[in-house]
Amino acid sequence: MVFPISAPKGPAMPSVISFFQRLQKAEDTASPPHAWLGALGGVALLALSVVFIWGGIALGVGSPRRLGTGAFPVLTGLALALLSVAIIFMDLRDTSDAERPDWLAFAAIGAALMVFAASVERIGLVPGVFLTVIIASLPDPSLPWRGKLLLGGIVALGCWGLFIGALGLPFDAFKGI
Amino acid sequence: MDIIAGFSHGLLVALQPENLLYCFIGVTLGTFIGVLPGIGSMAAIAMILPLTFYLEPTSALVMIAGVYYGAEYGGSIASILMNIPGTPSSSITCIDGYPMARQGRAGVALFASAIASFGGGMIGMVVMAVLAPVLAQLALNFGPTEYFAVILLGLVAASAVSNGSPVKGVAMVVAGLMLGTIGVDITTGAERFTMGIPELRDGVSLVIVAMGLFGVGELIVSIKANASGAHQNQIDYRQFYPTRAEWKAMFAPILRGGGIGSFFGALPGTGQTVASAVAYAVEKKISPARARFGQGAVEGVAVPEAANNSATQTAFIPTLTLGVPGSASMALVIGALMIHGIVPGPRLLVDHSDLFWGLVASFLIGNILLLILNIPLIGLWVRLLQIPYKYMYPTIIVLICVGVYSINNNVFDVWLTLAFGWAGYLMRLFRFEPAPLLIGFVLGPMMEEQLRRAMLLSRGDPSVFLTRPISGVLIVLTVVLLVWSILSALRAKRRMRGAMRSAE
Amino acid sequence: MSFRAATALTLAAALMGSTALAEPGAWTDEPVRIVVTFPPGGTSDLIARILAQYFESEFGQRAVVDNRPGAGGTVAADYVAQQAPDGTTLILGNNAPFTIAPTQFDSLPYDPMAGFTHIAYLGASTPALYVQPTMGIATLDDFIAYANEHGITYGSSGVGSITHILGQAVDSALGIEQIHVPYQGSAPAIQDFRAGVLESYYDMLAQNRDLINDGETLPLALAAPARSPLFPQIPTFRELGYDVVIENWTGLSGPAGMDPEMVQTIHDTVEAIMEMQPVVDQLAQWGITHTVMTSDEFTGFVGGTIETWRPLILSANVNGG
Repeated sequence: MVFPISAPKGPAMPSVISFFQRLQKAEDTASPPHAWLGALGGVALLALSVVFIWGGIALGVGSPRRLGTGAFPVLTGLALALLSVAIIFMDLRDTSDAERPDWLAFAAIGAALMVFAASVERIGLVPGVFLTVIIASLPDPSLPWRGKLLLGGIVALGCWGLFIGALGLPFDAFKGI
Repeated sequence: MDIIAGFSHGLLVALQPENLLYCFIGVTLGTFIGVLPGIGSMAAIAMILPLTFYLEPTSALVMIAGVYYGAEYGGSIASILMNIPGTPSSSITCIDGYPMARQGRAGVALFASAIASFGGGMIGMVVMAVLAPVLAQLALNFGPTEYFAVILLGLVAASAVSNGSPVKGVAMVVAGLMLGTIGVDITTGAERFTMGIPELRDGVSLVIVAMGLFGVGELIVSIKANASGAHQNQIDYRQFYPTRAEWKAMFAPILRGGGIGSFFGALPGTGQTVASAVAYAVEKKISPARARFGQGAVEGVAVPEAANNSATQTAFIPTLTLGVPGSASMALVIGALMIHGIVPGPRLLVDHSDLFWGLVASFLIGNILLLILNIPLIGLWVRLLQIPYKYMYPTIIVLICVGVYSINNNVFDVWLTLAFGWAGYLMRLFRFEPAPLLIGFVLGPMMEEQLRRAMLLSRGDPSVFLTRPISGVLIVLTVVLLVWSILSALRAKRRMRGAMRSAE
Repeated sequence: MSFRAATALTLAAALMGSTALAEPGAWTDEPVRIVVTFPPGGTSDLIARILAQYFESEFGQRAVVDNRPGAGGTVAADYVAQQAPDGTTLILGNNAPFTIAPTQFDSLPYDPMAGFTHIAYLGASTPALYVQPTMGIATLDDFIAYANEHGITYGSSGVGSITHILGQAVDSALGIEQIHVPYQGSAPAIQDFRAGVLESYYDMLAQNRDLINDGETLPLALAAPARSPLFPQIPTFRELGYDVVIENWTGLSGPAGMDPEMVQTIHDTVEAIMEMQPVVDQLAQWGITHTVMTSDEFTGFVGGTIETWRPLILSANVNGG
């Protein structure tokens, strides 16, 4: 698979993309992911619950009569911690293959949302949407560059008509350019 | 006032040409807004609000109501076609609707959703016409203890929504409860887990959680799955309309879904999302087709759609008769009435009976209009699936971005959606389901709020939960349900082990 | 009339004369966004929509309403403070971001005074204290006696909300200690009140009109400087000997550094709209009393509320961090 590295965005992006490309290559060539990797989900949940328990205790749990700010996070955190320990053991015993992750799509969709968030109030809706479409379409090699640009243009103009023209949402179509 | 006389009078009001026109505008706008992920009825109603300044109050209300329930119709379309809920309350419809679409039965699923929405809407309308004063009285008897008991019941039901591992389902509900604590603690005003970000003080918006976990998470999965050619490879045109057997199978679930939805709609705050989740969970316990739930059961589409539509209609009961809006959209309804000097409250049914009955009758007309509008559109929607996915998904990403941004006109919400989207993808990798998390997230803050408020009001005496009759009954019911489902799970496990042993 | 008062009057007249120089009308070719600190549907949002509509229909000034709710209005205020002071971004401000937040939060991203050009005061609505009619409480003295003997629960529309601060003000003025039960907005508080589990609450008058007329709720005292034309029979706290005045004000502001002439134009356009009969009637319906203030007076008013409310907010112990 070939991907255009010279994407039209911030200087940090190409290295991010190539990082995910390398990650992807490793994933694609490796044998099916080990089952024990599935237990990472439970570990992440456990970590999250520990954060809430810890944070909740810092906020103060109060008394049974007058529950404090931290009481509910601590209670739910404890319940989740117990459940996630159970899940870790279940996943470790699960021998079926885990799904193959698609890190490239993961990165590109994330980057598309980032670009939208960074651009819509700075340069306006139309150019912001255009860039978002280009970035989002990067992981799909079947769409040539001309197609990506065309799609970006059409969606950008469509959004202009729909959201600003028809729905009257408070967007700036263009800004500062 | 006599219900039949009231309703027929209302029908005359609703059939006046201008009311008919505004009803049509409302439901059409609502359907299309509902299809767009992230942009819900709220944005559409806010947009037409200034227009309603010039209208008769009845026309204004009829149009706003049309947008509101029209969006529920539209919301399920995106759920079925793309596994992306158009509105948070249609998240549950994804569970069976999307597998149906993958099997080439998108037409049947859309048809079932339209019929179920209609059925649910009609049930909601009848409930509102007959029981509005009773339900208003019931809602008035719901203090914090009763709310807490209902929420507890909803949570026990919600953990059954999951189709995968039950332990993971419960874990997701609890994770939802936990994430719901992010933001300012409304009882003390202290910030929790906001990391000093002002936008997090009010917590995370439900739309963001739904769009992130379902929408963005699903998109990441589907890019690879659809890399070659169309999103749907085969569409079975013979399976466009439901078969006789499917019609029959949907009937009872629609009635049950409509009933459950009517109850939750009338309780301000719980709303359509919880209604559809509870209805789905109940159906999954009792339906003869329960084994197929999650794999494209037509009943699994009908139930949540019937429930969220009936809840949409009965949500007007507390809004109009108590002045308590259950959602942001309902708050807009109160705003539209205020501009005409009508204060929602117990006297509205008497002082403005024209308005009330006109609205009730407009539900009938609006739902018929929606059916007429939606059934011919099914073909068009299904054809949408044949657009190559490489054009579709960047467009959907943009729609999600715009929709999420326009909730508060704040870019921070887009960043947050990104975080939830990544989390949603990782959850899929590790086989966690987003639906129970969503329900826990809706109910968690309410549960905590009501629990602590009940304790404040009782001055620290927890026995109120059992001594107040309604909450006592509900809590006993919850405990019975919980014990019953644990016992039946254990029995099933023992039976399975027994079967395995005899097989050896 | 004393000499000093007479000079003040002349001076005021001269000022008024100078204000007459600006003609109400459009002030920019761009569409103006009126930022509202609440989601659509509330009184504040409706006022903004009425203004936007009249700006356009009467004065040819295009305007849209931009709802940016969140964090007690501070998200909206922060956004507006960062915009260019060219008259295209205005905020429908109120006590939440301008009066309460500066004391409530240790750090604010904006300065409520130096960060804004306060343009026009729109009006204020009045909260009152309500109790259950069945509790045998008929006057404020009964209320004090009951609270001292049994303790009393009151509902507010949230921690740090104006009704919570009013509850604190009543506590310190009447020398009682009420049990605060926060809600999210006044409607759910009223629901619990009607369900009989809440003993009293504080809320604006207009929203409670039907309940008062039906005898379902009993208003004991108003926290306004004067009685309300809606219910002239309800006494004020001040008349009863307790200095409790907490009003829910609304005004129009913009980012700091706006051109004075433009400010004058916007101010006069707003005043012209506030005098139109349909608007006057609508505001009366909602129980909002409009008073004319110049932009300078309004700026002074905002600064004054921050100072006078500070001790009350501190005693309410609502620290948002």
